[in-house]
Amino acid sequence: MLALIYFIILAVIALGAAVCVFLSRHPLYGALSLVTSMVALAGIYGLIGSPFLGVVQIMVYAGAIMMLVTFVIMVLNGARDSKTPMFDKVSLFVIPAVLALAGLVGFALVRAPLAFDATALRGSVALTSRTLFDVAQTGPGYFVLFEVLGLLLLSAMVAAVLLAKKRLGSVDTENTEESH
Amino acid sequence: MELQPIYIQILALAIFALGLMTAISRRNLFFVLMGVELALNAVNLSFIGFAKTLPADMSVAGQIVPLFSIAVAAAEACVGFAMLILLFRKKESVDSDNYSNMKG
Repeated sequence: MLALIYFIILAVIALGAAVCVFLSRHPLYGALSLVTSMVALAGIYGLIGSPFLGVVQIMVYAGAIMMLVTFVIMVLNGARDSKTPMFDKVSLFVIPAVLALAGLVGFALVRAPLAFDATALRGSVALTSRTLFDVAQTGPGYFVLFEVLGLLLLSAMVAAVLLAKKRLGSVDTENTEESH
Repeated sequence: MELQPIYIQILALAIFALGLMTAISRRNLFFVLMGVELALNAVNLSFIGFAKTLPADMSVAGQIVPLFSIAVAAAEACVGFAMLILLFRKKESVDSDNYSNMKG
């Protein structure tokens, strides 16, 4: 009963913040609503028994990614086009289509028999790290994925630096960089 | 009345639909990327909700996969915002209609 009350509070916060992302005009308000939604979702992760994922969600999503988002919004002055209308004629078709999709999936979900399993393990730090770094030959082998993930993040970082840097080597770009 | 897994799935579905609507119908490029992030979050929530309906050993996998999904989302945001900076430097605009010169 208490879990349900906590869940309803967190769900209302998460949904309300998601609606704010959809309807807000300035991207910075949208980003702050997104942080609120992600923190509420982290609370739900902890509530249903995955505290490690909740902490990772706060550290990586609400911390790192949203810091990047707000930083880019501030650097680029993202409110520049806030006078243009938020929606156009395409939205008239997109929004009912997405709502219809959600209705269909929701109908299928409600009809499916689902119940919590009492023996489901709590995703604590110890259990998660033991499974993730199980290097035994008969183990699940998640550590290989973990290594690949390191490569992926490294290549994403290199790609971001290469994409976003000023064109180096020409004289006038170097001059403008010095003047800033 | 207790907390049921279906409530978690309905919440994930609602957030996913909102994220999808934000990504497709908003015109500001920042909101497009933020809508993608919102949809990814909803998928993580759905993973964890379903993981808790599985018996002991099988329930661990559903709590490992969101970790990878979060890391891939971080890589996606990194490259996505680098591309946004690149586009912004070309046209000085974050309105996606200004980038419609590729449409057939």
